[in-house]
Order: sequence, then structure tokens, then C-alpha cells
Amino acid sequence: MNRKSPGSVTAKVCMGLGGVSAGGQEVLQAFMDQFARKGLTGEVNKRCHGQKVGCMGFCAKDVLVDIIIDDQKTAYQFVKPDMVERIVDQHILGGIPVAEWLAGPEYDQFHEKQEKVVLKHCGQIDPEDIDAYLGVDGYRSAGKALTSMTSEQVIQEIKSSGLRGRGGAGFSTGIKWDLCRKAPGEQKYVICNADEGDPGAFMDRAVIEGDPHAVIEGMIIGGYAMGASEGIVYIRAEYPLAIERLKLALGQARERRFLGKGLFGTAFDFDIRVKLGAGAFVCGEETALIASLEDQIGEPRPRPPFPAVSGLWGKPTNINNVETWATVPKIIQRGASWFSSIGTEKSRGTKIFSLVGKIRNTGLVEVPLGIPLREIIYDIGGGIPNGKRFKAVQTGGPSGGCISAEHIDVPVDYENLMALGSIVGSGGMVVLDEDNCMVDVAKFFVSFCKDESCGKCTPCREGTREMARLLDEISQGKGTLAHLSLLEELCLVVKDASLCGLGKSAPNPVLSTLKYFREEYEAHVLDKYCPAQVCKPLSAAPCQRGCPAGIDIPSYVALIGEGRYTEALDLIREDNPLPSVCGYVCPAPCETACRRRDVDKPLSIRALKRFVADFAREQGEHVPEANLFRPQKVAIVGSGPAGLSAAYYLALDGYPVTVFEALPVLGGMLRVGIPDYRLPPEVLDFDIEAIAKLGVQFKTRTAIGGALNLDTLKAQGFQAFLLGTGAHQEVPLGISGEERPGVYSGIEFLRRVSMGEKVKLGARIAVVGGGNVAMDAARTALRLGSQVTILYRRTAAEMSAYHEEIVQALDEGVEIRYLTQPVEIVGNEQGVTGVVCLAMELGEPDASGRKRPVPIPGSETVLPVDGVIKAIGQVPQPLSLGLDGQALQFSKRGLVETHPVHLSTNLPGVFAAGDNVSGPATAVEAIGIGRRAAQSIHSYLQGEPFATRVKMPTARRRIDPLKVSDEEMGKLVRPKMPEEEVAKRIQNFFLVELGLSAEASRNEAKRCLRCDLAD
Amino acid sequence: MTELQMKAIDRILEGFPEVKGNLIALLHAIQALEGYLPEESLRYFSAKTGVPLSQIYAVATFYHFFSLTPKGRHQVCVCLGTACHVKGSTRLLGEIEKRLGIQEGETTADMRYTLSTVRCVGNCSCAPVLLTDKETHGNVASKQVADILNRYE
Repeated sequence: MNRKSPGSVTAKVCMGLGGVSAGGQEVLQAFMDQFARKGLTGEVNKRCHGQKVGCMGFCAKDVLVDIIIDDQKTAYQFVKPDMVERIVDQHILGGIPVAEWLAGPEYDQFHEKQEKVVLKHCGQIDPEDIDAYLGVDGYRSAGKALTSMTSEQVIQEIKSSGLRGRGGAGFSTGIKWDLCRKAPGEQKYVICNADEGDPGAFMDRAVIEGDPHAVIEGMIIGGYAMGASEGIVYIRAEYPLAIERLKLALGQARERRFLGKGLFGTAFDFDIRVKLGAGAFVCGEETALIASLEDQIGEPRPRPPFPAVSGLWGKPTNINNVETWATVPKIIQRGASWFSSIGTEKSRGTKIFSLVGKIRNTGLVEVPLGIPLREIIYDIGGGIPNGKRFKAVQTGGPSGGCISAEHIDVPVDYENLMALGSIVGSGGMVVLDEDNCMVDVAKFFVSFCKDESCGKCTPCREGTREMARLLDEISQGKGTLAHLSLLEELCLVVKDASLCGLGKSAPNPVLSTLKYFREEYEAHVLDKYCPAQVCKPLSAAPCQRGCPAGIDIPSYVALIGEGRYTEALDLIREDNPLPSVCGYVCPAPCETACRRRDVDKPLSIRALKRFVADFAREQGEHVPEANLFRPQKVAIVGSGPAGLSAAYYLALDGYPVTVFEALPVLGGMLRVGIPDYRLPPEVLDFDIEAIAKLGVQFKTRTAIGGALNLDTLKAQGFQAFLLGTGAHQEVPLGISGEERPGVYSGIEFLRRVSMGEKVKLGARIAVVGGGNVAMDAARTALRLGSQVTILYRRTAAEMSAYHEEIVQALDEGVEIRYLTQPVEIVGNEQGVTGVVCLAMELGEPDASGRKRPVPIPGSETVLPVDGVIKAIGQVPQPLSLGLDGQALQFSKRGLVETHPVHLSTNLPGVFAAGDNVSGPATAVEAIGIGRRAAQSIHSYLQGEPFATRVKMPTARRRIDPLKVSDEEMGKLVRPKMPEEEVAKRIQNFFLVELGLSAEASRNEAKRCLRCDLAD
Repeated sequence: MTELQMKAIDRILEGFPEVKGNLIALLHAIQALEGYLPEESLRYFSAKTGVPLSQIYAVATFYHFFSLTPKGRHQVCVCLGTACHVKGSTRLLGEIEKRLGIQEGETTADMRYTLSTVRCVGNCSCAPVLLTDKETHGNVASKQVADILNRYE
């Protein structure tokens, strides 16, 4: 075998908690086994050996393994035991690294801007081997301090380094030590606070697990400087691995006489004991910690006296946290001026942050203080995963606050974070993205502090409880603006009046989120809506959010699955009074939003709605009744979906409503724009009859604007008006020959056919356009016996008509010519003989995001036809309306000018909704906006203020999920909508889509993933 | 209280030079015997050491780690630290509650599992985190819950 014999090889396996929980122990064992099996350990000097090391920092990629061959390091990520053999064979023995398992570019990116001082040896040395620590100059600083420096010199060194406590408050370590040193007393204590309680921070755990001797050495130096012979590490019981490694390290240090009597040949005696906490966050506060060490419950006491004067058992006591202690040996070793050269003027040195939450490269990072937050988040952290938006970073745990995205460039140090209402704290950095709700985050921390409040002082005990209650009510949708002001007031009281740091800082997460995310709080209390969709009562499933009418889809689908069809229909009507119409012709944006799409295919929501509507129509159904009467009469102009929707909700609310319709038939575009084979008249009638049963009066053949106008209606006692006149005018093609006989407007053509007129088309018809009107006109012309060609200037991908319609049109024999632009309609005195067309190609995207079609020069051809239907878009027909001498205002595009939220026009009491406001849109959009108009009319008539924003939908019911076995779930597929045979349907205007059976509908309901119930 | 139980507590006391300053450590040791702090054990401990029962009770109820009620054979514990919270630990807890049919702080009727929560175990990089006895599981998805729980009889 031609294998290169390796030199000294070490496989360093990350075995911090992150590494262990990802299987580090097993990976290490696999290396040991491989080395043994391949005889690699038996050679001189144990040439290949596996080594456990502490946290390497980049926990996102655990298990991390460094293979070090003759000082050449190669990093592997996500290592599993079964990958080890190949690494040994191919890399260690064969000399070729396993490329696909190497740490990626983000590994270098993660480390590039870090400056490792405290973490220098963490993840590099075996934390359970004192010789490994000695091998990196361990205990030399203690030796230097004890043998060559006086205690004053040590303290002076720490003072001039500028080191500030790394546990939270950031007090000068040197000054604190000096106080303790000068305090009178024979017996003194130094304590290491390893009660790392801030959720989201774990650097202290990592330091103890990865480099425990550094903490011990720091404490020896501190004990010497302050004249304390006893050290105590108060450590969280939640950190078993850290406790184990610390105890092991203490034993080894005693064995080597770094602890005990007469250290380093001096007269200084020092030893350290380990004391376990028992799960109380407040014990991170120094006086509470002392109480805990004295066998008491962890209640803080007022300061002064400070522990430096009267601490444990009344003796002078100095408490620093793990990171601070671990920094001390580095300062003694390399000097105060080196340390103070790092960082900013008031924040010297480096700080470890635990970068967690919604961030790509989670892990522990050590950076010079003063580094811009952006570099931590984007350069080191690699940004936000899953294409989400960065929202905020929470620093300092329950005592800290949230820094919003606009402050991403803040230099991270003690002063700057304080100025933003947060703190450096112990160094937790929890990154939040758009899916995190700031009210929820505030609630999390306040509820934490409420639970952890020791109960000794009233402001903290009662204050945090009240804060939690207020936040809870806000997240439940029971909040008001008064909640916000009360919350703010309460925060200030708790901050001022609490006894210890826990209470004093507990309001920070609330105050900072109120400051930077007030809008989000307001959405909760004013709109009863949680923008991040975290607070469940203020959220909706994606389908419901996708529905312009905001129907509680998951609940009605579940009701259908249970066979409770009438209840399902009632529930739909709460948000949409035209369930039949939408069951037949809705473009179903809900299905586009449906999460089931990611699994297989979206739920057939429209077909389910149609099923319950059909069921009710066949069974004869009940309609909700208005249970009150109000005197104010409302006039609605136009009986399209917007007008019908508004009429229904106003009538339900007790208003006498009259709908005026210019045509002899009701329904507007639903009746005269959508052919019967898609929406049969009796289906539309069913919805309209339900509205009529509520007492709505309909007056057909009654145009408003002439002799009968808004002024005369006002004189008749109408107090509010809704204009829902739609958009019934075809946009001209703007080409020559457009005025020839035989050229029709698509919308007018459909209207005439719908009203029963005999329209005589030629044998060959060209339809111009790619929208729904074009498709409807083409299929209608086909049914009248013509041969139909659709001319569309873009490609199939850009067509705005519904996919099913396009497919059905093609099935029926309509021809579609894409990338074809008519430029002239030619003919003679009798009519049209042909269309001159240009071939197109797609260029750059235009304002609509669709690629702009560009003509190909010289590509003119003539398509011989006998008639042309133009259907490239509709605009509102001109209205001449006014009230009290004032004219109604229109936009340049001919749309009625309305307020974007409450839909009022420039005329008092006159509102507008539907296509005349939005331009041509879908029925379901008109239904949603019509309902909003009804709410505004109600506000107007009751003298109440208008809504200031559009209310977002939230779940209306909480229906239990259907019981479906995993086996059954696996078999369910989206049903295919049964269709009438093509040969039968093109002869007439009978329905094309035949609807789902009850059984198919109930089965389809089972496919719903019930996003509404997901927490 | 059996002779054996008393002896076990005696042995624990022998391991400590003095009671003063070690109450929490002693309670940890007593709890390790049976997984909780039985009332008789605490009474015996109080009588033997002279530490007032009121003080023992105060400490035992103040700190989250101590339990005065029996625990199941296996400890299932969901981390509710900040990182875990923002990564959906509430959903994880809900899933476990649903599977076991108990709420946080309760024990299943067959004494198989006790479900609890903890305020951060410091494994924030791998959130959300679930602990089962001495195992730490990182990046736990709800669908893994059944599999993890089934490993404990």
C-alpha cells in the first residue's frame, strides 16, 4: 500500500455541551476505535490520538472535529461516527481531506472578526487534563503574581487594564477588588458567580467546560490580591458537565499544589470549594447568592453594606463572574496596557457573546468591545436564515432590552447599549426575525421575572405580576391603549422602587420593545392582530390571511369534515355573504396560500365551499336574521358583489337597505360578465335571495344620476350611500379599424349574451387579450358556433386568466396564439376580414413585474377573421354624480377617489367600493371591500370615528381537528373536479364543473393541515 | 421511615464536615436518594441536625430543583430559555404534554415520566432543547418527540 505515513496526528472533537448533545462522545470513541483498529496508536509517542476539547464555539455545525497533522489544521463539520472511518483512511492515512465534509466558508467567516482572549484555549485543549493547560502557559500568571508582584501591584494592574465585570453590571473589577482588600477583617472570601442564569447566555458554562483551570487561576490571583484564603464557586445545578469538569480540575490543581498551603513557595494559602445552586435566577444577584451560601432562601438584601465590606458570614467578600475570573490570568500574563489597547475608551478588552436564535451561525463569539452590531450579526453570524427579515436582537437577557434593526450599526459596548435601553449584561444575544412577536418576547421575559422574583419586595413581586397580566391580556386580544400607558407607568415604578437588580431591570424588555416596536403593540390592542402571527387569538391560518374576505377557512373545512354542513355555511357567511358565487368562480387565493401545497397539492377549498353551498341550495336553508332595527336608510348603487356584500352586512346590522340597479337583472358583473356555464343563474340567485330575505329591497332598471340622483335619494330619507357601480367599459385597443362593424367589446358582448340577446358573430372570431374576460368571451363565442382564436401579446406564463379556464378553453377547441400583437383590423364595408398581427418577443420586466413584449420587426402576418372581440381590460364607466352641489371626485385613471381605509369619498355620507375604486378585481375582493364599506357606513351613521386601519382577519372558531389515521392520511389526494364532457358542453351554456360528492368533500377536508391550531 | 432510609441520611451527613453552609448540598444529596424530598426524611434530617424544619421547608420550596412530591422513573424536561422560546419550545412542550397526557410539573399515572421545564441549560446554539434524564437533545423537532420518549421504559 502506498500510503503516506502520518506524523503526529490529533483529532480534536468538540465536547462542549453543544458537541456532546450532537453526539461528540460517540465521534471521539469512533476515532479511538479506528486508531486502535488500524494500529495507529501503538506506534511511538501515540502518534495518532483522539482528544476531547471544550466548546469550539461554532455550535451550529456540531459535531466539529479538527484534524491536526503536523500542526496543519483541517476542520470538519457535522461529523457523525459513521463518517470517521473514511476521514481516517482518506485524510489521515491517504493525505486527501474528505472535501464534502470539510467546514464550509462560513467556518472561516465565523472566526475572521473574532478576537479570542478568554476563549483562546477553549476548544483547543483537553479540559480534563491539567497538563494540557500547563502546556499553554497555564498557572504561570498565578506564579508571576504571587512571586513577583505585591497585592497592590496586582490590583493596580487590573485597575489599569480597565476590566469591567462581565456578569452584567459592568462595575470596574480593580476598584471592587481594592475595596475588598482594604476592608478590615482576617477572613475574606472570593467567590466565582457561576450561576449563569440569563436564558440565552452560556459563555460561563463553556469556559468552565472548556478551560476550567483558567477560572481557578484567576481566583488564585484574586485571592492573593485581596488577602482571601478561601474561594467558592457557586455554580448552577443545571450545568452537570461543567460541575464535573470543574471538580476534576480542582482535584488536579490540588494535586499539583496550585491549591492548598504555601502556593508557589510563598506563605499564601488558598483553596476553592464548589457550591451548587438549586435553580433560582435571583441567586445571580450577589446578596441573594450570599444568602443562598448561608443556607437561606435566595433573597437579596439592601446595599450598603456592600459584600466587599460585609459579605458571606459577615466577612469581606468579592464576587466576580466566570468570564471575569478567566480574563484575569490573561491580563497578568500580557499586561494591562495590552488588554486596554483592545476595545473602546470606556469598554476595554473583549467580550464573549452567545449568538443564538434566528441566526445562521449560532455559537459563542468573542469580539473586541466596540465592534458594530452589524459585523456580529452579518459577518460573524452569517445573517438570518430562511430568507427572513432581521427584526431585532435581544441582549442582556431578562435585564436587557431589544435593539431594533435600525440600530444595526451601533458599536457594541457598555455605554452604547445602555443608551439604547438595553445592556451588554452577561452577553446573551438572541436574534429575532420577522416571525417573532415583540409583545410575546416582552411577555416571555416578564413572565420569567415574575416567576423568578423572590417575593421579598412588593414592587417587584406585585409589579412583575401585573406587568405579566397586562401583557397577557394584550396578547389575548383584550388589550386597549390604556393597557399600554398603564404598562409604561408600572414599568417605571418597578424600575425605581425594586430592591435588587432583578426588579430594577425587569421592565427593560418591556420598555425597550414599547419604545422601538410600539406599532406592533398597537396592532395588538387596536386591530386585535398580531403581525408576526405568534399570539394565537390574534392570528389566522395562511389561507384565511390569503382570503380577501378573511373567511375562517380551516374551521369551516373541519365542519365539512364532520358533516356539519349548515354550520360550515353559517361560518362562511360571517365573512362572505356570497358563498355560492365564490364556490363557483372564486380564483381562490386561499389555495395559493395553502401550506398543504408544500406537502403535495393545496386543499380544494373552493370546491369545498361550493359543496356546502350546493348542499344548502338543494336542502333549502335558513338565513340569519337581523335581531335589531335601526332607522337610518342606506342606498346602495349597483348590485355587484361589493354592493351585495355591503347590503347584507348593513341589513344584518338592522339598517333598511335599498339596492338600485341600472340593469334589469341583479348581480352586476357576476350576472352579466360571467357566463352561465361557469356561474349558473340559479346559483347566483340563491345568494341574492338570502340577502333579500334579510329585508334588503332591490330596484332594478333604476339608474342613479339622472332625475333620480343622490340629492333626490337624500330627500327621500336616505342618509348614507354606497357607490358600487363597477367597471363595465372596455379599454380600446388603440389600433386602426377598431370602429368597424364586427368589432365587439368583450364585456358588452358577454352582457348581451347573458341578457338573452341573439348576438350574431361571424364564423371565425379573434379575441384579443389574456384575462378572464378574454377567456369568457372566447368560450362564449365558441358556444355560439364560431371558430375562436385568442391573440395574446405575451406568453402563457404571463396570462392573468385562471389556469383552469385556460385549460378548459383549450380542451374545448379554442386556439391561443401567444406573443401575437394585433396592429390593425382590416376589412370592407360589410365588416372585418382580418387582423394584422406582429410577432413579439419578451424583453425586460415592466412595472407589473411581467416581461415586456417587444415586436419583432417585419413579422407582420394577416389572420383572416370575420369578427374581433377586444378584451384587454375594463375601466369604470363615467359617472356624473354629486351631492348638495358638490361633484364626486375621480382619480386620473377614472376611479372614484376614496379613503384607502374607510372608503369615504369627498361627499359626506357617500362611500364607494368595488371595481370603480380598485379597477377590475375579483368577486372575493369586492366582497371584502364591500364589507369594509358597510362597517364605515355604520360608523358614519352612529357618529363613531372611522377605523384607522384595515382590520386583519383572525380565527372565528376553534374546531377540533378531524380524526385521521396516519395510514388514511397517506392515501388522501386532492380530488379532481369532475367536468362535463367537452362534446356535450360546447353546444350549450350548461355547467362545466360538476362539483364534488359529499364523500369526496369530507375526505378532502381531512387533508387540511389545520394551521389555525398550530402553536 | 425505614431504618435503611435513616442510615442513608446518616451516611450523607458523615460526608460533610459541618451542616453550616451546606444545607443546599445536603438537600441535593437527600433528593438524589429517592428523586424527591420525602417529608419523613426532612423531619429526620431536622431532628438529627437541629436545623429548624421551617428553614428546611423554606429552602426546599424556594429553589426549583427541589421537589416535595415523588417523581417518575424518567425526567423529561423542556428548556424554556430565550433561544428555545424563539425557536418554538412552547410548541415542543405542547407536543409532549399532548403525548403524555400531563401538564408541566406532573407525573404520568404509571410513574414512567415526570414532565418539567427549565430556565435555560445553556445549550442555546442547539435550541430548542429537550432533556431526558441525563441526555441532552438539541434542535428537537416536534415529530422527534415520540421517538425520544419511547426510548425510556
